Amino acid sequence: MGAGKKIKSSAGLEILTGGIAHDLNTVITTIYGYCELALESAGDNTGSAKSIQAIISAADRAKLLTGQLLDLSRNASIEKVPVPVADALKDTINFISPSVPEGIRIILNLKTPDAWVMAPPARLFRIFLNLATNAIQAMRNKGGTLTITVENGDEAEGEGTAPTPGRLLISFSDTGTGMDEQTAGEIFKPFFTAGSHSGTGLGLTVVADSVRDLGGTVDFVTAPGSGTTFRIIIPDPFFGPLPEKD
Amino acid sequence: MAGVMIVEDDAALRELLRDSLEKRKYTVITAADGREALARFRPSVVDLVITDLLMPEEDGLMVIMKIREVKPATRVIAISGGGRAGPGSYLLMASKLGADHIMSKPFLPSELVQKVKELLG
Repeated sequence: MGAGKKIKSSAGLEILTGGIAHDLNTVITTIYGYCELALESAGDNTGSAKSIQAIISAADRAKLLTGQLLDLSRNASIEKVPVPVADALKDTINFISPSVPEGIRIILNLKTPDAWVMAPPARLFRIFLNLATNAIQAMRNKGGTLTITVENGDEAEGEGTAPTPGRLLISFSDTGTGMDEQTAGEIFKPFFTAGSHSGTGLGLTVVADSVRDLGGTVDFVTAPGSGTTFRIIIPDPFFGPLPEKD
Repeated sequence: MAGVMIVEDDAALRELLRDSLEKRKYTVITAADGREALARFRPSVVDLVITDLLMPEEDGLMVIMKIREVKPATRVIAISGGGRAGPGSYLLMASKLGADHIMSKPFLPSELVQKVKELLG
């Protein structure tokens, strides 16, 4: 199995198990509720009450199982493994492509196609997904191009940004609406949303927290009408083939 | 009698909670997602909102924020079964947004009804 497949399966595992646990917990709440109502109705009928208690006990066991599913989901989201950055970005693009409106192009510019980092795959996927989604949102009305570039900091010639030797630069550059100074100053704050699209306003907060967990930083350049470039800087990247598995 | 809005995308649980609260003589309004909740919210009728957090359309966090803008005195109970960020994280966000009480599914509906009673005095 290729590393790209692993990213997909790890991210999928987190989402799948979390989703199943969420839905099951809702179902179990309903079971508890009707058991309570049935117990009230059972009154002095000890036979019925005993049967209802057995259902509650079964629901208790199901509750333990959903707890384990959520633990599994969380563990899958924090384990660091070698992740080829190119594969992670391709997975992200494949994931969002069906929902990208006409008139928006995505270009993947891999200047260092063999770069890889130690990261939780699901978390890296979420960082990339949030940045790509934001860029598409910024271009939704007029269309445009999202260019995702991966390059070695030693060779990078940033536009208005200093090179960062020994670091990996991953940039998401869109040609969308851009942001004014006030908006730009707020975007990493929780619950801040730019524009009228629905969302929790947590996307960039999650990005900043997740990049920080990887030991990296995230910054951006923007201006109204000139688009926005987000730049993730990850220290200590690796280049070349992935290590063999033990 | 006080008014309670239930925002829950699972129809079976929504109706169960409605039954449980109507039995205690509360006036109950229900909504299947955040968008419907915001459309149906009536400040003069609703004193307390019970909202799930992970829902299609507008989610529960948005419901809390927008309802608090319209009627800051609205009491809020957030409920969640887990999902995208784990139940702790999402419930914690709801708490930071000012939810009066948070409950992780599965819970006993009688516990929820008791909490409604406490919050509405």
